[in-house]
Parts: sequence; structure tokens; C-alpha cells
Amino acid sequence: MIKKTAVILGAVLVPFASIAAEVPITGTVESRCIIQTDTAGTFGNPNAYTLTTTAADGGDAAVVRYDVSLADAYYAEITPPTQFSSSPSLPDAVTWTGSVSVKTVSDATGMGSYETDKLEVGATDRYDLTATGSTWFAIEAEATMGGNKAFAGGTYTAVAEAVCIAK
Amino acid sequence: MLRTLLYSAVLALWAGYSYSESITPYYGSTGNAVTDQSLKWSMDNVLPEPPGLDIDTVIYNYTIRKQTEDQVDVYVGNENANGTGYIFREHDQWRPGSLDGTEINKVIGTGSIHRDVWGDGSIDVVGNGSVEDPSVIYTYRVDPCYDPQFDPNCPGYQIPVPDIPEVDLTQLYDVTEDENIDLDRTTDPEYQNQENLDENEKKKKEEEEEQKRRYRLEKAMSATDAAALFVEGQRIQQMNEIANIAANVNGYYSKSLPGGTYQDSVQLADTQLPDNRRGLRNNLAQQLLHQQMIDEQYINIGE
Repeated sequence: MIKKTAVILGAVLVPFASIAAEVPITGTVESRCIIQTDTAGTFGNPNAYTLTTTAADGGDAAVVRYDVSLADAYYAEITPPTQFSSSPSLPDAVTWTGSVSVKTVSDATGMGSYETDKLEVGATDRYDLTATGSTWFAIEAEATMGGNKAFAGGTYTAVAEAVCIAK
Repeated sequence: MLRTLLYSAVLALWAGYSYSESITPYYGSTGNAVTDQSLKWSMDNVLPEPPGLDIDTVIYNYTIRKQTEDQVDVYVGNENANGTGYIFREHDQWRPGSLDGTEINKVIGTGSIHRDVWGDGSIDVVGNGSVEDPSVIYTYRVDPCYDPQFDPNCPGYQIPVPDIPEVDLTQLYDVTEDENIDLDRTTDPEYQNQENLDENEKKKKEEEEEQKRRYRLEKAMSATDAAALFVEGQRIQQMNEIANIAANVNGYYSKSLPGGTYQDSVQLADTQLPDNRRGLRNNLAQQLLHQQMIDEQYINIGE
């Protein structure tokens, strides 16, 4: 009798146990680190086999701006270009050199030592964004054609990479 | 009911539409307040004229010049014109390790603070360093109706009433009450002299006046007569000239030429006229030449 009752009860409960509902929970997280291009760089062409952003050679450094609204939560990693994203055909291998430096800060006290405290990992410079505010980084790049061969006429474009990495 | 509501809505919209554009608040920004190496400036030289001006933000930037191992403190601020202290004062602490040539670009929100409160501005550098290419710019909002009398459309505008000063009439000069002035004519010496003239003198004066009047009348009439005589003389002269012209012309009209035959009256005294010898010679020479010319046309034919 007990067993039967149990079976019946089980039959009754099974349909209720199989009912399920999925309740979505969504949220939007706005990044506390915003990157934007402040100034696009330009290459100068001081000689046939060199393209450079150096101002003295007719170029302009690229400037990228980081706006951070949460202190000590992000790293800024910036890598100067290591190849052309578009160019005429290249007669030889191109050698790249580049550098990144803090150009402007919005808080001298909190950001004044960003440059001295930066970490260089290969071609990439890592900055610890310990203060809130805006920081402008200047990106320099120089491309030299192998064998001192001349760059062919045309438009050359290279891309530097700037990322914001959460700690 | 619906119509009443509609009218109310139209009136409300009309009032809003008729609000003048000139009283709408507007925004602007100053130029660089730092104009010399003193790094100090007066807001009177920086801000524009309107009285209803509130400063919202201050944007400044400069490049720090220092040795990496040094600490330099830079203060940017404006004094409080209505008291002591500062409206705002930013402290940029360039610690050891911060690099020479780094720029700072800072935006300071001050809220809306009226221009009267903003005192002199300055950049003060403490430590072994300096600032280069400093720039301080203020952004502001101007409310034209800060003074309601600026425009009749401003809230609180009052129709101006001219200020008419009150005058105490008792303080005004009254000539009738001046002790130095006697308005009684009978006491005037000239009036009294006139009254004292005797009858004989009066009569004598009247006769003299009568004689003068007559003399003036005669002069006027004689001038009139002279003009009339002159005109009459001119008229007579013109009539004489017309009569003379008629007499002179009629004399020519009455002349006539008598008709008949007029005989030739030429007479030759000599009976024989000899030939001119020079003429004969000349004539023969011409004849000879003429003959030669005629003969020349047969020369070719004979050959």
C-alpha cells in the first residue's frame, strides 16, 4: 500500500518538476578605459630608403589618448608598427624601429612618473595606469629599406597598436 | 472649454516665440590669459564686457622644465576678489622621476562663478624648474538678462521712469521781490522828463514833424514824376524811329528803270591791223613739231 501510494505521488509530482523557466539577466559594462586617436602620424622621407615620423625629417608622431576613470585598474600597452599595412611592392626587407613616450598628462602628481616606470616587453611598452585622468602617448616609428634600396613611389600606411588591459 | 484651452496654448506659445534672441544665454571662451613671462594676469584684461558672465571651467596646459631628479611644484589659480584665498588653485606636483618636457593638460570645472568673484590669476613655480608655453583659457556663460533693464523682454524689466529733481520754488529768484529793482514807472527819470515838457515845446516839435513829413512826401512825388517823364521820353523816341524807317524804305520802292535799246558805242581808229611777227614764228615752230609727230606714225610702216 505504501509502495503504491508512493508510485502515485511520484506520477503526480513528475510533471511539476519538469517545468522550468529561464530568466535572463543582462547588464552593460562600460569600459573605464577609453582609447582614441588624438593625432594620426605621418611619415617623412628624408632619404630614398627611410620613412620616419621624426619631426626634423618632415614627419609627425602619432598621438593616442587614454582616458581612465578607474585608478590602478588597467595597463596601457602600445606597440609601434612593425610592418606596413598597405604599401607599394617592397624590393627588400624593411627594418623597423619605434618608441613610445608619455607626451601629456592631466595629473602631474599621479602620472608624472608613468614614463620612468614603464615596462618594455619586446617592441611593446606597458604603462601602469595608476591614476584617473587622461594620458597622451606619442608613438614614433622609422622604416628603413634593406640594402639602402629606394622605397617605390606610392602611399605607405603602418598601424600602431594600443590596447587597454585590465589588471 | 476646448476653445479656451486652445487659446491658452496659443498665447503661451506666442509668449515663448516672442522671447527675444538677444536675451538668450550664450557661451564662449577667452583667449590665453598668460601673455607675458610674469605668469600673472588680471581678469579685467581677459574677460569680455558683459556683466552677467559666469565662468564654468578653466583649461590650462604647459610643459614642465626640470631635472628628472628634482621636484617642482606648480600652482595655477585665481584669487578670490571678494575675500581672501583663491577661487581655485591647482597643485601640480612634479615629483622626482617625472621627465623634463612632459606636458600637462588639465580641465578644471569650477561651477558657475560670477565674474566679480574672480581675482587676479597666476602660475607659481616652486622648486628648481620652470614652465614653458603656458596657456590658461576660461570658458564662460553669459546671461544678458543679468541686468533686467538690458532688454524689455528680460524678466523683471521695469519701464524706466525719468528722475525729475524736485525744485524748491521759494529758492528761485523773483524779480518782483528784488529790492534793487523798482518796477514803478512813475519813478523812471526819463518818464518824468517827458512829462515835464511844456506845451510850447510840444507844439514846436509837432510842427517840425509836420514839415518833415511834407518834405518826405515831396521827395517821393518828385521821384515818381521823374520816372514817368523818363518813360514818356522813351516812348516818343521809339515812335520817331518807326517813322524814320518807313520814310527811308519807301524811297527805294518808288524807283524804276526806263526801257528801250542801248547801242554799242565801240569805235576802231586804225584801218589795218598787221600780223604779229613773233606770233608767226611761234606758229611756224608749232606747225613743224606737229608735222614731225604725224610723220612718226608712218616710220614703222615704211620699213
